[in-house]
Amino acid sequence: MKSSHLLVLLLALGVGAGARAAELNLFGWSEYVPQTVIDGFTKETGIKVNFETFSSNEELIAKLVAGGGRYDLVQPSDYAAEVMIRQKLLAPLDRAKLPNLKNLDSAFTNRPHDPAGGFTVPYLSGSVGIVINTEKVTVPIRGYRDVFQPRFKDRLVVLNDSREIVTWALYTLGLPINTLTPESLARARPIVADWVKLVKVFDSDSPKTALLNGDVDLGVVWSGEAAILWNQNKKFHFVIPAEGAHQFIDVLAIPAGAKNPAAAHQFINYLLRPEVSQLISTAFPYTNPNAAARALLSPEALANPASYPKTGKLETFRDIGKMAAAIDRLVTDLKSAR
Amino acid sequence: MSAKVELRGVTKNFGAVEAVSNVTLEIAAGEFLTLLGPSGCGKTTLLRLIAGFDQPTAGSVWVGGVEVTHLPPYRRPVNQVFQSYALFPHLTVAENVAFGLRMQRVPAAESAGRVRETLDLVSLTGLDARRPHQLSGGQKQRVALARAIVCRPQVLLLDEPLSALDAKLRLAMQLELKRLQRQLGITFVFVTHDQEEALTMSDRIAIVNRGRIEQLDTAQAIYHRPATPFAADFVGEANLLHAEWLSTDAAGIRVRVVGGLELLLPAAAWPTGAKAALVSVRPEKVHVSRQPVAAANAFEARVVEEVFRGATDHLCLATAAGTRLSAIVANESALGEIFHAGDKVFCGLHADDLVVLRAE
Amino acid sequence: MRQAAARRAPHAASWRAWLLLMPMVAWLVLFVVVPTTILFVYSFCERDELGRVVFSFTWENYTRVFDPIYLRIFARSIGYAALTTIICIVAGFPVAFGIGRARAAWRDRLLLLVMVPFWTSFLIRTYAWITILKEEGLLNAVLRALPFGPGPVDFLYTPTAVVIGLVYAYLPFMILPIYGSVEKIDGALLEAAHDLGAGPWRVFTAVIFPLTRPGLAAGTLLVFVPSIAMFAITDLMGGARVPLIGNVIQNQFLQARDWPFGAALGVVFLALFATTYWALLRFRDRGEARG
Repeated sequence: MKSSHLLVLLLALGVGAGARAAELNLFGWSEYVPQTVIDGFTKETGIKVNFETFSSNEELIAKLVAGGGRYDLVQPSDYAAEVMIRQKLLAPLDRAKLPNLKNLDSAFTNRPHDPAGGFTVPYLSGSVGIVINTEKVTVPIRGYRDVFQPRFKDRLVVLNDSREIVTWALYTLGLPINTLTPESLARARPIVADWVKLVKVFDSDSPKTALLNGDVDLGVVWSGEAAILWNQNKKFHFVIPAEGAHQFIDVLAIPAGAKNPAAAHQFINYLLRPEVSQLISTAFPYTNPNAAARALLSPEALANPASYPKTGKLETFRDIGKMAAAIDRLVTDLKSAR
Repeated sequence: MSAKVELRGVTKNFGAVEAVSNVTLEIAAGEFLTLLGPSGCGKTTLLRLIAGFDQPTAGSVWVGGVEVTHLPPYRRPVNQVFQSYALFPHLTVAENVAFGLRMQRVPAAESAGRVRETLDLVSLTGLDARRPHQLSGGQKQRVALARAIVCRPQVLLLDEPLSALDAKLRLAMQLELKRLQRQLGITFVFVTHDQEEALTMSDRIAIVNRGRIEQLDTAQAIYHRPATPFAADFVGEANLLHAEWLSTDAAGIRVRVVGGLELLLPAAAWPTGAKAALVSVRPEKVHVSRQPVAAANAFEARVVEEVFRGATDHLCLATAAGTRLSAIVANESALGEIFHAGDKVFCGLHADDLVVLRAE
Repeated sequence: MRQAAARRAPHAASWRAWLLLMPMVAWLVLFVVVPTTILFVYSFCERDELGRVVFSFTWENYTRVFDPIYLRIFARSIGYAALTTIICIVAGFPVAFGIGRARAAWRDRLLLLVMVPFWTSFLIRTYAWITILKEEGLLNAVLRALPFGPGPVDFLYTPTAVVIGLVYAYLPFMILPIYGSVEKIDGALLEAAHDLGAGPWRVFTAVIFPLTRPGLAAGTLLVFVPSIAMFAITDLMGGARVPLIGNVIQNQFLQARDWPFGAALGVVFLALFATTYWALLRFRDRGEARG
């Protein structure tokens, strides 16, 4: 081959190799990492961030099972991380590279899904609770039983998540939400059957839309959605259900076989900085596990009842393995019985 | 059972174009009438007005003494054979033919019998189960015909049905159609641009030109006594000579034709008071011989061109003064008078063979 | 010498022909045959804790498919799809017929009008419908403005909204094939039918409808089968209240983490499609191979 061709080829290879070194492949929830944060990181370090999104933990698990080495940093929820750790899909963290871990609130570290904190770092937390349009709903609402009343038929929005719905039913029965048996499902069944008939919209992507449109008056949704509603209009109140609520902690983790673990660690450390974490909180008003960042938030943000609920019985999800299929079957059956 | 068809003062406009202008036409019951004219003359429009596919802008249409002007096609006792045959591709031959009977809700048994009969009539026996795409042009045409006549219409319209067939088949079909018409006794209204076809089959011919009927008469009458230059030229061949009046006396009228030839015409033939007119003479009426011809108009000419056409010889003649004529001579014997270009010949024209037409 | 060359020529041609076909065949094998085979194999497997496929043979997935729960969902999905197809035929046929018999200049413009919505994303068009049908949307605004009348109606998040969404999404797939058939109908055939005594209605049943069978068959296939599997519209416009088979299959691969069961549902769905296709072929050919 001609020498000029060879030169071009070498250059291309060189550039390619160089490009691969300065890259980070991030796989996160859609609408969960602000672009300003990503751009800030790139500006500071010169590392290009390739951001792909998913909209469910199962999608994330499926992709990692299929070949997770493509990604350097992922954002599972607590129970998904638990499964992935057990299946050895995640790489251990090098805590020496993460000095900013000290900024975290201890309430969010060392949780059941990763007791030693060897694989995950909390990112944002939140809960699933009740949001009420107080202009339309004038009776007191304290828990799930108050929400699912016949008077609210066709005025309800809930998450389109079988496990969530069954969990709420179990809460009202006082049954454990992370140990599912055929018996507990059988007891939950009639409750869910009644509830499903009352719901107008099932939406996990953007339940606030139906509330803003006036198509529904109250519902059980993500706390972040409720927080955004509160910021838009103070008529939307948020309540942690008295019977108990699901708290989720979304974490950062590095897949086993990631190609850029160094860049991944850098990014995690960057996200743990108070000023960066504050940006995340402002954009997505969930509960911030970073105590140092919380100190930087405005009083109104801290007063948002959906972001920082005062009281409540909160529990995270644990992985339930094959019972997930049984739950799906139950809710599908009940939904289609209409 | 056949019916009379009348068009009274019918005009049809398509936008700014006047396709048919104030036509009044009476077709006798049981008659075979041909509408003859060039493309775009309005003959097809006239047919469509009778069929009911178009409504006249003015005037009325009558069939069998009943006004049908505003009746849709499916309520007129008229059926049409289309130029493209328009056979239903999704039906068999038998089903195509039975279509009209099905529309009239004729019971199945009777319908089957009539279909079979009609197929026999058009010599298509045994092709019941074929599909249109499996038929030849001639067969398709006969299916179209059968489909129309099985309905026993009072009037049958035929829109250039033979134009897609080859010459030999066309000739055969012309005779067959004529025979069929006589046998069925239905009024046939036939549209064509082929004058030979018209001459072969029709009882009467209507010459249509630019939306008007220029002449309506039997074939012989039109041929021997065309009423307009267009009629003279369209049907058969004609020498159309521009003539100027010279004098009138006891023998007749003398005229001078372009090129200087002088002719004698019967007194009655000339339009009164006209200074000029067109004289039409059929080429076969120009007698050509090597000996002088005994006729009212005799003159000498030279053969400019000669075309041998088998049964006849077509000659282009020119007089000394420059008048040009075409003549057709029958080749009676192989050894007979064969003319060649450059020959000097004697010509003759009988006064009766000269038709005088108003110049347009 | 010449004979030998002639004998050689056909072989040479077929070798080249295969070469030209290779990309197409490779594409078909890679993207159709292989995935379908994988699906088929998975449907007989079991799953592990993560939902991954474990290669041990079982009939369990298929017995679960015939559980009344899922049969009911299949039936309902087919019902929605059938309703959508029928509405598309009733609404689409006149439109296709009108365009097909229109003057040439108008025909192109009308076709364009039918196709322009396709240039927008499907999701955006569906959201547009949400804007129209929601509680405070355009339609209810009109209804509220009427002095007499039903007042605002619950359109969104009802089965009606789902059907509207489905019909809207698939209507062009019905109009265009029917138009193709209609356009081919020779105008003389319609005149001939009239001439032979058929009034407008009978011209339709005896001539137009039979001749548009191929278009109808194609349109039905393009509408019926995809609309059975459609899950986006149920989620967006139906509030995800009633799961259709598409939603169930999606769930198996995501939340329920049961790939083999999802594969079994997929295989059954494929069988459904094949049956529909065969039935429509017979419908289409019935018009031609009669007698």
